[in-house]
Amino acid sequence: MQSSVFNHFYLATCLLCLSLLAGCQSTPANKSAILLAQQGNFESAKQAIRTDYSPNGKSKLLHYLELGMLNHLQGNYERSNVLLSEAQDIIEAQYTISVVESAVALVSGPTYTTYAGKIYHRPLINLYKALNYNALANRAGPNKQQYLDSAMVEMRQLDTYLSNLKEQTGGYNSAGDNEPTSDDLTNRIYRLIQPIFAPNDLLVNIDYKDDAFAHYVSGVLFERSNELDSARIQYQRALGAFENGFTKQYNLNDKKIVSQVHTDLIRVMTKAGGYKNEIRKLNKKLDKAPSVTKTPLLNVIQNVGIGPQRKEFNLLLKADHESKALVMTPILWGTEKERRAQMKWFQMLFADTSVFDIVQNYAMGDIGDVAMGALTKRIPLGPLWDDAQDVGLVQALEYGSRISVTYLEPLQQQVKSAEVWVNGKKTAELDKIYSVSLLTLQDALRNANSEIQVALTREIIKAITAQKTINATGLDQSFAGFAKFATSVVNAVTASADLRQWQSLPAQINYAQIPLSKGTYEITLKTHLSSGKVIEQSEAVTVSDNITLWHTRTFLQQSRVTAPESTFL
Amino acid sequence: MKCNKTLLKITPLIVACTLAVSGCSSTKVQRVDANQEVALSDKWNGKDSQLVAEAMINDMLSFPWVNDHLQKEGQRPAIIIQSVRNKSHQHIAVDTFLNDLKRSILRSGQADFVANKDVRLEIREERKDQELNSSLETQNEMGQEQGADYALSGTINSFVDEQGGSRVTFYQVDLRLIDMTSNREVWNGQKKIQKLQERSRFGF
Repeated sequence: MQSSVFNHFYLATCLLCLSLLAGCQSTPANKSAILLAQQGNFESAKQAIRTDYSPNGKSKLLHYLELGMLNHLQGNYERSNVLLSEAQDIIEAQYTISVVESAVALVSGPTYTTYAGKIYHRPLINLYKALNYNALANRAGPNKQQYLDSAMVEMRQLDTYLSNLKEQTGGYNSAGDNEPTSDDLTNRIYRLIQPIFAPNDLLVNIDYKDDAFAHYVSGVLFERSNELDSARIQYQRALGAFENGFTKQYNLNDKKIVSQVHTDLIRVMTKAGGYKNEIRKLNKKLDKAPSVTKTPLLNVIQNVGIGPQRKEFNLLLKADHESKALVMTPILWGTEKERRAQMKWFQMLFADTSVFDIVQNYAMGDIGDVAMGALTKRIPLGPLWDDAQDVGLVQALEYGSRISVTYLEPLQQQVKSAEVWVNGKKTAELDKIYSVSLLTLQDALRNANSEIQVALTREIIKAITAQKTINATGLDQSFAGFAKFATSVVNAVTASADLRQWQSLPAQINYAQIPLSKGTYEITLKTHLSSGKVIEQSEAVTVSDNITLWHTRTFLQQSRVTAPESTFL
Repeated sequence: MKCNKTLLKITPLIVACTLAVSGCSSTKVQRVDANQEVALSDKWNGKDSQLVAEAMINDMLSFPWVNDHLQKEGQRPAIIIQSVRNKSHQHIAVDTFLNDLKRSILRSGQADFVANKDVRLEIREERKDQELNSSLETQNEMGQEQGADYALSGTINSFVDEQGGSRVTFYQVDLRLIDMTSNREVWNGQKKIQKLQERSRFGF
């Protein structure tokens, strides 16, 4: 008897260790690649991507996205566009969901599916391709107009995509349109269908509904090519989205950005002519009517840092006979910082911390369950317990099952401020206009419920299937608990969360507009970090058109290394 | 014994799955006629370029300006292509389309073409080189170029309407021919193409 208890304890420990090893936090290849690029080692970075992400495998999208971005950073704009176009095609092809692949994923794990990217990746592909064409046009030469036309092709594709997105999500309409009012029927239904795991208020207004920044860059590019009607429409769309929720959702400087877009809109309307009434209305909205300058404008786009990394944390799913419930307990792993983040993520999204959960635990279990509420998630089965036993669920979870989900560490505000200096004179402040970090975080929060529910379902199916196979083949009698243990291990190893993401994106994007006469200037960006460090970067920029768009990337871990154009390290 | 029976049961399934998987990963390449349309998507393709160029040039040459010019000047008109701007939502190889336009005009035998600015500069360089290095009998003189009588320019526009898996793409090509002496627009042509692409939400 003692030996049997020891064996079971030994097996359970092995299962736990193997599960943890399988989910062990290691740096993904694309994170390593962008860290290498940060050090200026682009060739090694590209090699790391080619080695780990095959152009034909399940993660082929990452192959093209990461190589596309690395070439963009290197200034190989044409090559970057070829690669990003491939990525775009792969995303489009994913519209058709493969039934076979979905079935395989159901019995294996999400990492066995073809990576389709995130909803906000498509606009970013169009945006970076447009920036590439714009940079090629900046180099002047006989094909300048052709490059600008190509940049606008990207912006038209982007507009089609965003129009469809707005049709599905409702976009950013007038303030408060998407929030249910207090007592009406919609509100009651809305509360009823709230996700069962996350607290009610956490998941409100985090959907990617429209992209004000993408519309804004579109406006700038159309204005550059003197397509004033298209520019006006894009500025109007940008203004609508910024005013009605985009700035709030992504923590941007509401007043400054909205005022900037107002000014741009008024300028384009003045240039086009025939918009006196509209201009009057816009001027009324602003405290002070903006002066429409005829001086050429330099638009600076600063891509800052590296986007956050998606990480994995594990939960142990077991059946609790006493309270007739399934119990999920987080298995914290990694550095202290990571363990703290995992616990916070669990408590924020899944733990039994709501009054409803506490009462339910009290009703179903005992005082101990109530006290453990913050550390566990209980799914009481109540009258369904017998069914669970009949289908073999309780038996299948004898050694527990590993549930693996993604989490993100809390975002750190690394940049305090950034300035643009022209020929040694401070000229403008750069303002945050886009936050890839918040996009990633909100996407992870939005998907947390469905992710854990799918993972839970998948692991239960895997455990029951394994149990049935063992029973059918008679292995349970021949090898006692070993067969069950072995299948538990296999299931645990394949239960990894899908951590794939476009890692070389910046953490945030800053923007400034500076009136400058035509000519070549020494532009210096000074980025002040929260740590007190200041990153200085300089480059000669030529203002040759009425509207010039210039982009750069600022990595935060290096002060300065000789780099290809438009990539500051 | 029971174990063997189960193995026997699942073996055909394993074999079938293996064959299915190996069948999925095969690649097949075949040679097809360059004039045959192979439409894998609703994007602008080589056949569109060819058909639009032929239709538009036929239309252009059916207008009275060709005969008017012949009567007035006694020789075929010379045309130069200025620019065709791509204002559509697709990347279109404009150069290929321009070449299709040129081929259609030259094939008709009713008009001549004048090389564009870049090509002219290259040829002039070549002539300069001939002055230095070629024999007198084979040299080509400077200042004997034929000036263009008409300038051809235009735009390619598109609209997209999308709902679920259905997408309608509408391409419109507008070309105009301008008399370079009088700035008169002697021809204005338009060709429209509409494509419907349907994708299913689920597949194998």
